[in-house]
Amino acid sequence: MTRGMNRRQFNKALAATAATTALQPFGIVRAQSSKLKVGVLLPRSGVQSFFGQSCQKGADLAPGLLKEMLGVDIELMNADTETSVDTARTRAERLIQEGANVLVGPFDSGAAGAIAQVCEQRGVPFVINIAAAPQITEQGYKFTFRNFPTSVDLVRNGLGLMRDLFQATRTAPRSAVFMHVNDTFGQANAKAIGAIFPTLNYLPFKIVDTISYDPAAKDLTVEVSKAKATNADFLLLVCRVNDGIILRREMVKQRWNPMGIIAPGNPGMYEDQFYKALGRLSEYCISNVPWYDPKSDLANTIEKAFDRQNPKDKLMFHALNVGYTFEALMIAADAFKRAKTTAPRELAEAIRQTEIRNRMMLGGPIKFNAKGQVDGNLSACIQNLNLRPTVVLPAAAAEAKPVFPVPDYRKT
Amino acid sequence: MNRRAQTLLALLALALLVLPAFASNYVMSVATLILFFAFTGQAWNVMMGFAGQLSLGHSLYVGVGAYTAAGLFFHYGLGPWAGLWLAILLCVLLGAAIGFLAFRFGISGVYFALLTIAFAEFTRIGFDHIDWLGGPGGLFIKVAQRDQIDLLNFRGPPAMYYYAMLALAAGALALCAWLLRSRAGYYWQAIREDEEAAQALGINTFRWKMLAVILSAAMTAVSGVFFAFYYNNLFPEQIFHISRSIEIILGPIIGGIGTLFGPILGAAVLTLLADGITELMSAFGIEIPGVKQVFYGIVLLVVIMFLPNGIWPTLARRLGIARQR
Repeated sequence: MTRGMNRRQFNKALAATAATTALQPFGIVRAQSSKLKVGVLLPRSGVQSFFGQSCQKGADLAPGLLKEMLGVDIELMNADTETSVDTARTRAERLIQEGANVLVGPFDSGAAGAIAQVCEQRGVPFVINIAAAPQITEQGYKFTFRNFPTSVDLVRNGLGLMRDLFQATRTAPRSAVFMHVNDTFGQANAKAIGAIFPTLNYLPFKIVDTISYDPAAKDLTVEVSKAKATNADFLLLVCRVNDGIILRREMVKQRWNPMGIIAPGNPGMYEDQFYKALGRLSEYCISNVPWYDPKSDLANTIEKAFDRQNPKDKLMFHALNVGYTFEALMIAADAFKRAKTTAPRELAEAIRQTEIRNRMMLGGPIKFNAKGQVDGNLSACIQNLNLRPTVVLPAAAAEAKPVFPVPDYRKT
Repeated sequence: MNRRAQTLLALLALALLVLPAFASNYVMSVATLILFFAFTGQAWNVMMGFAGQLSLGHSLYVGVGAYTAAGLFFHYGLGPWAGLWLAILLCVLLGAAIGFLAFRFGISGVYFALLTIAFAEFTRIGFDHIDWLGGPGGLFIKVAQRDQIDLLNFRGPPAMYYYAMLALAAGALALCAWLLRSRAGYYWQAIREDEEAAQALGINTFRWKMLAVILSAAMTAVSGVFFAFYYNNLFPEQIFHISRSIEIILGPIIGGIGTLFGPILGAAVLTLLADGITELMSAFGIEIPGVKQVFYGIVLLVVIMFLPNGIWPTLARRLGIARQR
């Protein structure tokens, strides 16, 4: 007959575990292995937990798929940054201490800046999945690499896609009213648009008014009526998901039917919650955001694996997070395959020489410039069609034709 | 301080001094974080623990201090030693403005706390619009060499930051110990216990409360300068956020408000608890996001329920180093 653990045994086991855990930080020497240990730092709790967990889905797919694709064994060492710069830094130190050969993450520019310093100090490569602050790759770091557009590129790509949209639909709206949330994210976008828009002389429209609003607002009656009063041809909108829902409902209430609603580079209108809350009213909203190429073989492979691993979820609602996180891990695995070692300097050098053409996300090949930045990551024009985000531009990746001007909401 | 307390303090100081020789970079980063929160907690303690003025917006001084020094360094190449004085000056002015508004017009208690939050919040929003300091996109200080110590520009390996923070924490402890025994310390404690009685005894409560606020603001500004050069990137959303203010005050609350060692002990307990829970969960293979925060909350709840005065007073009694009255 087996007996359960008594109190003393349990206490001893707990003390032993605690002692092992406490002493671990002092053990530094580690053997190299044929497996690549990847420290994945993501904000899986705290304010950004939704995005962190979404990115984690992409990381979780990587070991199996990369083994199949590249024949490389990778081991994930997951760490939660708790949406805190302080924690990001200590967790990065801890992962390196535990033997991580390369770090990947962290869906935040502040955390990325903190982790980059640790990696630089310790000489461990760091592949950023998502973080848009341009300064991160302007610091002269030798071990930091980023496969994600900078905030400037995000807005430039988003505005550039508007030209493509107007050309594809043979329209030329003359005016837009710009509405944006007044939080840090919205302000940053507004500033970028304010700086870049005047330099793009190929856009046919003028911004006739700019209206900012509180993202926590429960009512946007005044803001929407003010926007409607401008008689602008379309609405340029930087929103988040909740205020986006309120705003769309208010537009219907006030019977305001502009040519369309276009988000120049922000999430919000292609998220699962947006469709669930608005149903048919979510139709035809447009978001110009980094996206995966639905026609690429790799995207299809990842989608199948995603469906198997997350039967109740859909890749399209995690596209950006899963895509860029998976690609970051793919970069590390590919470099490991070529370097044939986990030695950090050789690994960093191999990452620098990366040239991956078979990719999931839209854009040119993954190839780092001298600063460790991948140039040429593109955005897609995503339109809500049949209650799902659908790629309508660029034409090569399009799943449907763009609809602009959009029909009256009563006809949807 | 009795002989046993002196011995323990000497042992602690020795352990902290030799730590970099034995500890890994991870331990060093945790230790630096503990010292950072010990220092800022000590600064907050001057205002709340000594003078009884509750501030829930100390992130204001961390942020203004950090941005001032970082901005001067970024734009003019002025090292932190120059920026430090301007950072202190600005924070002193801000503290004085808040103090004057509150104490001149009789705002106290929770209303004073709300005022401190309001200042931190509108400063955060204001900094979102200061393009010179990067606005919402953040201010990134150029990171140069890290292996050699460059004290002039406050650049160097982790051990340098650790020793700098250790010196600051030790300095704050010494300053607070002196203050508590000074006239100011006695006046503050009198105001904290009963402001009207203190006034009746002839204490100019306005003046002494102002001094507490100004001193606390100045000390916190110094921690801000350290923060800027340690992390090298600043975002208004992160540095001025109320969660940072809460982080600052949790240490003294858990350790023991108004005590000298409470903020240090509280910072150590909280940081080690947070990291310890993560390590323990990792050792047991538990990977559920947010579980750590639940455990953390439960432990804090237990401490507050059973040790409402904080851990330090009880611990000091147990160690036999509590002051005999």
